[in-house]
This record gives sequence, C-alpha cells and structure tokens, in this order.
Amino acid sequence: MEDAIRDRLIEIVGKENYTDKEIDLISYSYDASEHHHRPMCAVWVQETDQVSRILRLADSHKLPVYPRGAGTGLSGMAVPSEGGIVMDLSKMNRLLELSIEDRVVVVQPGIIYDDLQRALSPYGFFFPPDPASGKVCTIGGNVSTNAGGIRGAKYGTTKDYVLALQVVLPSGEVMRTGTRAMKSASGYDLTRLFVGSEGTLGVITEITLKIDPKPISHCTVQAVFKRLEQAGRAVSEIMRKGIVPSVLEILDIHTIRCINQMTDIGLPEAEAILLAETDGFTSEEAEFQMDKIIETFKENGAERLIKAETEAQEEEIWKARKSAYGVLARIKSNFVLEDVTVPISRVPELLKGISEISKRNEIQIATFGHAGDGNLHPQILYDGYNMKEVEKMKKASRELFELAISLGGTLTGEHGIGLSKAPFMGLEHDEVEMDMMRKIKRLFDPNNILNPGKMAL
Amino acid sequence: MEKGYEFEKRFREQILKCSRCGFCQAVCPVYKATLRPALNARGKMLILKEVMDGKIDLSEELIESLFQCTICASCYLNCPSGVEVPEIIKAARRDMAKKGILHPAFLGMEKALRDSGNIYMDDEPDIEGGRRVDKAKYVYFVGCVGLYRETEATDTTLELLDRLGVDYTLIDEVCCGGVLEDVGLDMIEDLSKRNMENIFKSGADTVITGCPYCFRTFNEREQYGPLRDRGIRIIHISQFLKDITFDVKTDKIVTYHDPCDLGRHCGIYEEPREIIRKIAPRFTEMEHHHQDALCCGAGGGVRGAFPKNSIEMARRRLKEAEEIGAEVVLTDCNSCLHNLSNAKLRRQKFRIYTTPQLLVELMDQK
Repeated sequence: MEDAIRDRLIEIVGKENYTDKEIDLISYSYDASEHHHRPMCAVWVQETDQVSRILRLADSHKLPVYPRGAGTGLSGMAVPSEGGIVMDLSKMNRLLELSIEDRVVVVQPGIIYDDLQRALSPYGFFFPPDPASGKVCTIGGNVSTNAGGIRGAKYGTTKDYVLALQVVLPSGEVMRTGTRAMKSASGYDLTRLFVGSEGTLGVITEITLKIDPKPISHCTVQAVFKRLEQAGRAVSEIMRKGIVPSVLEILDIHTIRCINQMTDIGLPEAEAILLAETDGFTSEEAEFQMDKIIETFKENGAERLIKAETEAQEEEIWKARKSAYGVLARIKSNFVLEDVTVPISRVPELLKGISEISKRNEIQIATFGHAGDGNLHPQILYDGYNMKEVEKMKKASRELFELAISLGGTLTGEHGIGLSKAPFMGLEHDEVEMDMMRKIKRLFDPNNILNPGKMAL
Repeated sequence: MEKGYEFEKRFREQILKCSRCGFCQAVCPVYKATLRPALNARGKMLILKEVMDGKIDLSEELIESLFQCTICASCYLNCPSGVEVPEIIKAARRDMAKKGILHPAFLGMEKALRDSGNIYMDDEPDIEGGRRVDKAKYVYFVGCVGLYRETEATDTTLELLDRLGVDYTLIDEVCCGGVLEDVGLDMIEDLSKRNMENIFKSGADTVITGCPYCFRTFNEREQYGPLRDRGIRIIHISQFLKDITFDVKTDKIVTYHDPCDLGRHCGIYEEPREIIRKIAPRFTEMEHHHQDALCCGAGGGVRGAFPKNSIEMARRRLKEAEEIGAEVVLTDCNSCLHNLSNAKLRRQKFRIYTTPQLLVELMDQK
C-alpha cells in the first residue's frame, strides 16, 4: 500500500488503532461464511469524525472500505473481497441514551446485542429481535443485515425497531435519518433503506431503536408429529385461529437423527418436532393461547406432547432446538447454513423439497428453523477439501434458492445476501428492481468504495 | 516450508471444525480486553488453518496471537463445534518453539528452571515458618508463585495448617514444570523426579497443593505418573479444608473468583464455595462465575509475555467484584491472587486474598 495512505490513516485513528500485521489481516479476512479475502489493512474507529475522514480519504483514492462488527455474518458481507480497508466498529460500543418514557434507546453500532439487553432488563424492557449470535454480534451488524431470530413470528426483525440513524456517506458527509418519535410520515424512509443494506451505502455510527416492555409470562410446549404434513397442517391452523405464538420452531427428521446421534437428548424419531412458546403480561394470556395451540396439535395427531411445568422442563425442551446448530456443525468439516423463507403455509412443501434436493444431490441437508414465520435453516453439510462435495453443495444451494422462490419466498429471511447469495439475486428480483438497486447504490456511493461486490450491486 | 507440524497431525480435523461462528468472542478474555479478533480463539484457528493450507508458515509474526492465550478454556466450553482450542494452542506453540520461535519472555526459561528450580530464577523461597519433618501424612506443595511472590498468603496457609494440627511437611520443592508445556517447551524430567523423590521420602499418602496448576500437573501429566501409581492422592487445599468446621463468621460481602485451572479445567467449583458459605453468610456471586467465570489474565504465560493486556483482563474481573459491592474477593490460586492484586485500583476498597487468609484473619479477630 502507498505509505502516504497508511500515514494518513494512522494520523486519523492513531497508531494503536491501525494495523497491517499479518495476524490481523488473516483474522479480518473471514466472517462466519465460507468466503475469505485479505484486506490491505484494518482500523478501529472510535468517533464519527474518524469514520468521516477515513471515508473521504478512501473515496478520493477509490479504496474499498468494509465496515465490520463482530464478523458473525453467515453470507460473507464483512469479507474484504476486493482488498482495501476493514473498518472495525467494535470500539464504538457505548449506550448513549436510554429513555423508557420515549421507549427508545440510542446506541453506537459496536455495542454487543447482549450488553444492550442487559442494560434494558432492569427496566423490564427489551429489544425483541433475537439473533442466535446475540452473545457476540453487534447492533450495528444487526441493523446492517436486518437480523432476525427465533421470535420473528411475533416480534418481527430488526427493521421493525429502527427509528433513526446517523450515517456517514462515502463523501464523508454525516447524515441523520428518521426521528425518535414513534411515528413519522415525513419524506422517504431512508432509515429503512439503510437497514439491511449490508454496509453498501454508508457507515452507520449511531442507532435509535424502539424498545418494548418484556412479557413476563410464557408457556412452552413440544410436540412430535409422525408425518410432516401433520405438523404443517398444525402450523397453518394455528395461524388461521389467530394465535400469535412467540416461538414456533420446527426440527426435521434429519436434524432429529443428527441430534440423537451426537447427544443423549433422545428425541423420538419422527418426521417433525414442533416447539411452541406463547408469552404475555399475565399467565392467563400466555396459557389461553397455549391451550389453543395444544388443542390444534392434538387435532392434528401430535404424538408426544410435553408442556413445560417447570423451568427445568422448559430448558429440556429447548435443549434439542438449541443444540441443532452445534450438533450439525460437528458432523462434517464444513457447512453452509441457509435461511430461505417462504409464506408460512408453504413450509411443508419447502421441507419436502429440501429432502428431495438432498437425495438428488447425495448430500446431507438437515433442516430446522422458524415455522412460525416461514424461515427455515437448511444446513448443508460437506467436506470443504473434497471438490466433489463442494460442487454438490453449490448445486444443492442453487436448487434450494430456486425452490424457495418458486414457492413465493425469498433467498434470505435474516442472514442477508453478502457474497453467498449475490449470484442468485436475479432469481428473486427482476431486472427493473435490480437496476433500481444499482442506481441507488451509485447515488450514495458513486465510486463504489463501500463493501463493493456485495448484493450483486 | 517445513512439512508435518505436530499440531496439524494431532488437530487438523479439530481446526477445520471451527465453523468461524465467532461465538468464542463472547468469552475470550484476551479479545474482551483488546477487541482484536486476531487474538480471539477464532482468529487463532484461522491463522493455523492458513498455516495448514500452506498460505503462511509459523513465524515470529504469529507470536503476538498464538502466545497471547491464557489457556482459560472458556472458548472450548462455549464452542458449538467443540474445538479443543487450549490443546491446539499448546501444540502450535510447541511447533514454534521447536523452530526457535518463542516469545522472548520464555527464551532461556528451560535453562533457568534447570538451574534455579523455579520460574522466577530466585535463590531462596521467601516464606517464614512452615513445618519440616522427616515423615508426615501430608506433603504441602506450595508452588512457585506461593513460594516466591505471594508469600504472605503462603505463610498464612501454613499457619492455618499448624493451628489445625495437620501432620504435614514442606519439602525441598522445585517447579512442577507444568507451565513449560503451556508455552511450548518440554517438561524437565529432572524437576519432576526431584519432586517425586522428596514426596516419596516423606512417606506421605497425600499431597496438598496450594496451587491449582501444580494440582493439575500432578494429576494429569505423564511425568508424574509414578505418584499416582503409588496411590498417592493429590488434592487441592480447598478440597482439604472443606470438611473442617471453622467456628468463625464474617458479615462482610464476600465473593469468590474461580481460577481457570481449578474450575474450567478440573471442575472444582463447589469445594471452595462450601467453605466460604459457611463462614460468610453474605456470600455473593459476581456476574460471571463457575464455568462462566472471567479469567484473571495470568495463565498460559500471558502475564509474563503481555503484562499490559494481562492486567486489563484482571481489571475486568475486579470490575465485577466492584459491581456487587464485594468487600472481600477470595480466590484459591496464588497466581490469580497475584494478578488480581496487581490490577486493583486505589478506589477499589475490597481486600483480595485466599480462603485460608480469611479464615486465619477471622480466627484472630475472635
């Protein structure tokens, strides 16, 4: 790299917040996806002004910049795929303001999800989206990828909670979007445009989130269905009855078998297991909804139905679902964890189709996920050093995306496009829409310095 | 590039199983103190993966990452893929050491230990008192930190053993040698032999260690196999004290810091708490405890090699003690005691000491 640029970066962030050491470049090459590429250098930023000065510098030299939080993304959005500067925002991790009266919290992007929840908890409030990586991921990353979670069926995803942002544009200009008022019909919703934009339009340096009072009561139940169709019908009927479960998770037979193979949880071998949770501000509210769910499960032939009466039983029920990711991660050396999402009623078709894809391509795919919002996690297991298996994985992924789109669904419910799904954007978005997205990208980032190559833009 | 590193032969599958999820970042003390992903377990696994892929070789440049791990095992216990990071790191350090790539703090360590018998290269232990007899039921094995640095804690522990009338003896101990393997070096047979000979000579059937790491070394390492073969029991001082009734109490808010070597590595969480709960009704846990306890930052050679970050880790731990309003922070590891004491800020009014120290203080007040 030109020494002049390095000197300027050091001048902006200080020597201790700049690195081009091999160990850092390696660790910044990766996120939780299968992609990797080395950056030229990395900087830890601590103030909005530093972000602004770095972007201005990078823009004038047409140097790529990759904003990064905890690097837990599963689609390669934080991977510096064209070299350049990794901008680590994890040191901008302060909670700036908490107003229970306004029901908002203002944070810097590097704050860790769990730390935010810990700060809200004494007030009986919470930030409802709940990504599985909550212990590590940053709120900036959640906003940039529009992260979801297990409770999406009732509480939606990150986009439903972002009220306002401070964003630094590639020109170095600092822009404020949105309002801390609960509602606003004022102009284009640029806040929403930035949510899920994967760092391609600007660098988010401040986030105002809506927070909710946390329900204090909940019920948990697990039901085993011999046939997948029965589970599918049960889900559809729950939706029809107007119940809003806070959790409605499904484990398919492949996942169940893997869990049984790798743990001593001992699940019954059936085509599907559903896990449901209802919540409320009184136990009656949670129980009322749960009774209806149990009734629906029974009507649809649920075989083993366990309702948690104690915290220990609740933990026991959750153990299977929570172990799924780890269990599947141990079976083969590599995996990709997809997050295709379809209309809720099409979940059984999606699961069936995934089984067929797995058989056809002779590759192991185990699926679990959020039946309550149609978002499933097929985990494709393969050996990354076996080129044949890599090819099979790629083919299966493509077929999976085609299947989801054919069912009226989307490539990604919560993990984002990044590099992994960029080649498939055309399956979901027509040319007119893609063209408009590219125009928006150019409008904000004419020199294409921000996270270039992501989202097929 | 050299072929066939030991770490790869032993752990290739494990390293590849790291799914890069980054969950270790939530618990890695070095990451938490520095916010630098290259120092987190995931970063270390990625570095080793690139070595296995032939993209880089083990070199001086990697020392800053691979030698900056306290071997606290938090990552391992929180890893969805079950990657045994501490063992992998130790193996990689060994490969590096074989090539002469070692953190300067450990250059000459082997020779120093051979010559002086302790990690500090000090001449004489600085402790007072303690019992030395030809034959005894117990050997009390202090460990280097207790003999040469935290000598007050050791003196008090010996005082306690004396007051309890325990039939023990000190021996001419030398370093157990365990730390050598942590930093990539070989254990020194001469040292382990000397320790075992002295233990055998005393006729003791039980060794009580004041140091959790010596406890592990005697119980786990091959070199100390003869101890176990002869049926000699090795226990930690907290295990020895737990069944004794102490007729003392404190109304202070007391908390306990789990040493990694005792807790995560050996599963000993309850024995120290059993004693403490009996004497301190206002015992309160810090936010992270038992398996989730934060590391004090001293282990794995990090205190010697990266003192600034080591102290930062200890500060993070003490902040938790401050948050619960602790007046006394207890730990049953001299090394933790040493690092935590060094990190204590002036405004932090709590006392930091070992359980035996609190016991003796309360006995004296009575």
